[in-house]
Amino acid sequence: MNFSFSEDQVLLKNSVRAALDEQCKPAHVRAMMDDATGYREALWGEMAKLGWLGLPFAEEQGGAGLGLVELCLVLEEMGRAAYPGPYFASVVLGGLGLQLGGSAAQKEKWLPAIASGQARASAALLEDALDWDPASTTATATKAGDGWRLSGVKRFVPWAHVADVVLVPARAPEGVSLFLVDPRAAGVTVTPMVGIDLANRWSEMRLGDVAVPADALVGSPGGAGSVLDALLRRAAVGASAEMLGAARRCLEMSVGYVKVREQFGQLIGSFQAIRHRCAEMLLEVENSHSAVYYAAWALTAGAEDAAMAASVCKSYVSESARKVCGDAIQVHGGIGFTWEYDLHLYFKRAKALEPLYGDAAHHRELIVRGQVSHSNK
Amino acid sequence: MDLNYTAEDVAFRKQVRTWLEHNMPRQIRNLDERKGWHRRLYEAGYLGMGWPREYGGQGARPMEQAIVADEMARAGAPAPTNGLGLGIVGPTIVVHGTDTQKRRYLRKILTAEEMWCQLYSEPNAGSDLAALRTRAEDKGDHFVVNGQKIWTSGGATADWGLLLARTDPAAPKHKGISCFLIDMRQPGMDVRPLKQITGSSEFCEVFMTNARVEKENQIGRLGEGWGIAQTTLGYERGGRALARITTYASQYNHLVAAARRLKRNGRPILDDAVARQKLGRIWADLEVERYGALRTLTMLERGEHPGAGGSITKLSYSEFEKRFMELAEEILGPYGQLTDGVPAEYRLEVDTAIGDHGTWAYAFLWSRAGTIYAGSSEIQKNVIGERILGLPKESRADRVGGPR
Repeated sequence: MNFSFSEDQVLLKNSVRAALDEQCKPAHVRAMMDDATGYREALWGEMAKLGWLGLPFAEEQGGAGLGLVELCLVLEEMGRAAYPGPYFASVVLGGLGLQLGGSAAQKEKWLPAIASGQARASAALLEDALDWDPASTTATATKAGDGWRLSGVKRFVPWAHVADVVLVPARAPEGVSLFLVDPRAAGVTVTPMVGIDLANRWSEMRLGDVAVPADALVGSPGGAGSVLDALLRRAAVGASAEMLGAARRCLEMSVGYVKVREQFGQLIGSFQAIRHRCAEMLLEVENSHSAVYYAAWALTAGAEDAAMAASVCKSYVSESARKVCGDAIQVHGGIGFTWEYDLHLYFKRAKALEPLYGDAAHHRELIVRGQVSHSNK
Repeated sequence: MDLNYTAEDVAFRKQVRTWLEHNMPRQIRNLDERKGWHRRLYEAGYLGMGWPREYGGQGARPMEQAIVADEMARAGAPAPTNGLGLGIVGPTIVVHGTDTQKRRYLRKILTAEEMWCQLYSEPNAGSDLAALRTRAEDKGDHFVVNGQKIWTSGGATADWGLLLARTDPAAPKHKGISCFLIDMRQPGMDVRPLKQITGSSEFCEVFMTNARVEKENQIGRLGEGWGIAQTTLGYERGGRALARITTYASQYNHLVAAARRLKRNGRPILDDAVARQKLGRIWADLEVERYGALRTLTMLERGEHPGAGGSITKLSYSEFEKRFMELAEEILGPYGQLTDGVPAEYRLEVDTAIGDHGTWAYAFLWSRAGTIYAGSSEIQKNVIGERILGLPKESRADRVGGPR
């Protein structure tokens, strides 16, 4: 039993921190907030070179063959930097989705391309009703010759405007199925949905009778459910890692600020009202760290409680990050509410991820369902 | 990072489980029976496990200690007695005592031949422990002690006490305190039970009038008592880290079973969306405490001490326990308040803090203690703020200095 990072994991974390400190400063984030595509190819290429884009893929697919713990270390640093770009969309949503459900040929085609940075992927997991249960999918897939025709509306698709391939669940006669869709294909309309986190892009993706070939089907017809459940768990834990990073940054900024800000002739960090709030923030950050890395390990190791751990993690971190990032604005006072000060970059990153891949309420319900079915056995 | 237990730990756990199956008493009716059970645990090698071998310990790893406590919680085994002796006094003597003191006292703590209490808090020295006023006057070959202590757990059964007293009233507040071992069975000691909100009296008040402490029973040097007390309060060595969570989980399962039976608006509470949300949240919090316990144990196994990080752990679980018990009360309604006449379905058959089979009512009331004793949540937050986050110290009257 060892709940500490290996030397390699610490090295990875440090190198990601160093690279992002250098190339993803707040000024870069702000520049990307106003940028049409929202990210820079230069940093993307650098990330490919450093091996981050293929981190969880097998070595024969151009990856590093690492697990979710390592992926979360990278994602935590990205949250800490409010990194703008399609990393999560491409590596976690698209990449892990293909890794979990794709055929040998599909993986061969896409994973090396994602790992090298030549292709960007994503997944369209939400529709109008915002239900994360794959069974609620309303987009349709009908047989057309050898291939399929897809129709429906997907919402909040991360980085669809720069993606080369998007995993799209749609309801076929056999049940909910998963397809690979080129967002630039005829019949697909991609429209930006601009949220408060301008460094993180969403689109609406309309599918108007879009023709896809037979080999666009991922897995078997009607077989999307288990792939999507597994993907959602990983996405929930990955998003939690990013939120943890954002929360850690908010805590660091708060502690730094209350050590220099004076009111009533004293440093405000000496007031218990401030100090206790900072102590509570640290408590939440440390507990979130436990939740993220336990779940990441459990999913990688295939532990018996892996699904529960993922729900424990996302339900816990969704609320702890909300508290920590919100409290950060509070201890800063007025300056924390200005656009010029960087705090809102991290506050908004955590907020943007809070409802994704299931919010706290969604995962609490999954926890109780898991327990009830367990105790009925 | 590998959160699987080693084959060695799995085997050890199995061994402890088997031992408990064969040796656990059905019931414990009085202190003598508890001492007997305590003695059997000691003879099996399950008490004072981390203490040095030459003084009766096992030199065991922190994980082995945690596993024994965890298996005891899992089996609902009665606690040993002499909790303060095992948890606070023994470790203090191990670290700060002389060889003579170690030989004289340690083994008898483990065998429960001598029972111990801790004489720290006073009516006007709670969170501000260093404000204590009990005096120990140097009379050449011995000290004479006068003063009053409160919140002395096990005071009524103790043979000995670990005492903090002021030896130099002219020295600055934190510098004039010394640490002693005091005989509780002498005429100058008046021990009165303190009835708590639970209705029970795990704690006592102790009045000391011209009580005597021999010179050889001073621990550490004169004026070093505060430093010794600081390390003593930090002896949460993770030994109960897993056991605590196992007890919570057992209580939680009882609660889910009750939520299945109890109804609200015509359907089981367990089908109620609001109740499910609250149960899901508490389970997540409980699991996060478990992960945190694994982190603490990892540190201890590597020979690192959590230091001020222990404040985060203590703050986290004690505040969690209150939230958990509030939810239990909410789901159980008036059943949660019963101290007697409890229907079998709503009993809480797990070991509580005093080692007896308890009720939800007792567990609920007791949960209010955890955020006060051994440094209140507010004190823990001060420690976290100052020692971990490095926040500026508050301006405090007693930091200006000056004698008391």
